[in-house]
Amino acid sequence: MSAERLLRAGTAVVATADRGGRIAAVGIAFGWHFAVNVPGIASGWTDYRVPWASAAGWVLFTVVGVLATARLFYGFAVPVIPLLTVLLIVDVLVIAVTPDGHMFDTPNWAWGTIGWFALLLLYDRGMVALVTVLALNALFGLVGVVAASTEAQGAADLSRFVMYIYGTGVLPIALMAAMGVLRDTAEKAAATEAARAALESERLGAVHAQRERQDRLGIVSEAAGALLHDLATGRADPADLDVQRACALAAGRLRRLIAESDDVPDPLLHELRACVDVAERQGVPVDLIAVGELPTLDVAIRRRLAEPLAATLATARHWARVTVVAQPDEVVVSLTTPATAGPASESYSWPMDGVVDYWYERDEELVWTQTRWRAA
Amino acid sequence: MDADTMAGGMTYGSGAARVSVAIVDDHPVVLEGVRSWLSADPRLEVVATGDNVEAVRSAARADVILLDLRLHGRMAVDEVSELSAAGQRVVVYSEHHEPNTILAVLDAGAVAFLAKHEGRDHCVETVLAAAADRPYVPPSLAGAMVGDRRSSRPALSEKEREALLLWFQSMSKASVAKRMQISEHTVKQYVDRARIKYARAGRPAATKSALLARAIEDGLIRPEEIGTYRSYASPDRPLP
Repeated sequence: MSAERLLRAGTAVVATADRGGRIAAVGIAFGWHFAVNVPGIASGWTDYRVPWASAAGWVLFTVVGVLATARLFYGFAVPVIPLLTVLLIVDVLVIAVTPDGHMFDTPNWAWGTIGWFALLLLYDRGMVALVTVLALNALFGLVGVVAASTEAQGAADLSRFVMYIYGTGVLPIALMAAMGVLRDTAEKAAATEAARAALESERLGAVHAQRERQDRLGIVSEAAGALLHDLATGRADPADLDVQRACALAAGRLRRLIAESDDVPDPLLHELRACVDVAERQGVPVDLIAVGELPTLDVAIRRRLAEPLAATLATARHWARVTVVAQPDEVVVSLTTPATAGPASESYSWPMDGVVDYWYERDEELVWTQTRWRAA
Repeated sequence: MDADTMAGGMTYGSGAARVSVAIVDDHPVVLEGVRSWLSADPRLEVVATGDNVEAVRSAARADVILLDLRLHGRMAVDEVSELSAAGQRVVVYSEHHEPNTILAVLDAGAVAFLAKHEGRDHCVETVLAAAADRPYVPPSLAGAMVGDRRSSRPALSEKEREALLLWFQSMSKASVAKRMQISEHTVKQYVDRARIKYARAGRPAATKSALLARAIEDGLIRPEEIGTYRSYASPDRPLP
């Protein structure tokens, strides 16, 4: 699997884990709101100072919860601060209408529920905001407890207050912290796996490229070796123009093959320069002129663009002009050089797999070759 | 050269008025070299040389100013603009033949750009063509045009682009014609048309008015292609 696909898969795993956390938060908040708060409101209905205020608060909590759920699952934009303010107002309202002696009972439902609904609004907005809401909730509760507490029960009420705050606050905080850790862990694991896969891809690519280069080097070396053998044994005459041409061709191919593996900004130009360098060492002045910005080309396409030129360049004698015209979807490489030995008039062309086309033309004055790549 | 009539009715050749040329270059060796190239051609006369524009401006007004782009360490594009706006035909030559540089020089109003490595023949041809207000495209200029990716570039036809591409590769015009299966005259027309399109897209300059008028006379473009022919051709009305 490619690094990119692994990274996408990792992102999907992170998204799935995160979605699980959101479902859990919504399930707990609404489960609590229906299964615990409704019976609480019903049981305290006759005791509330203003029963409808508590019921209206429950409806407002429900509305806020639905909006927060829409944000969590559908990206629905909601005003977070105003909705948190609504929750805190309801919190104060319910504390105010809860009868004395019931502060730690189910009729004071908003006090124990606000943490879960605040979590829905603040799910991915950091721990500080949630702790702030819970701290305000604790403050309002403390005021209510102190106001309702009698002198005899004062110490006991404060103790129960601390336990209550701890019990209702710690769970939303724990869930938010756990989901944060899960997200980070999944993201790191996905990134690590993608990096590992990228390394593996590079390694396999390098092995493949090396094998291919060795194969080509073998072919080129065989030709160069045969030539050297003929020269050494006297079967080939260094003064023979054909032998010189064969030597130049072999040298050009070797140089280009070496250049092919270099990590440079414009590999095609780099490879062409390697061919040109061989010709210049033969005493042939070569102009290499490029216009346009080269697109990224596979090594196979670069070879097809440069190889015919390298072969013709080996025949150059007096001067040569190499031109490269690059467009995002087209690269044209050409060589012009005075005509030397060969048929006075020769012309042929053929498409190379329909990707890189090749033309060759020779008249009394000039030899011209052109390779042309067009994006499919 | 296949055209021998100059703007203003002058002719050159044996016994006729010669094209006067001023050369600006801050390298004495190059200055001497270019002077000897041009002086060797009987149709040309070098009337002034100098290492800055002021040195030749005070001399007799030359038909063509051959200006080295890099003078005393800086690019003389502003001088190209000034001279062109004043109605001088400026041919810029330089060893800096990057396409962006060439196109900037054309935008500044130069009649042509010549790379220093392009040698004597192209130099003489370019100066003669400039004096006659005819477009001439040396290979370096063709390369800059064919590789132009700017959004403001003129729209060249496929044939014009192909002709520029092959000419940039420095095939002979005969080879270009053979490759494109058209006549040499048509090859020249395609390349010249491309240059005229660049001239039309460039800055206002009196020489461009003349260039355009001549292009219409030669049948390279039709008057209706540029709208109000008379106003464009008028020497006292700059191009829009």
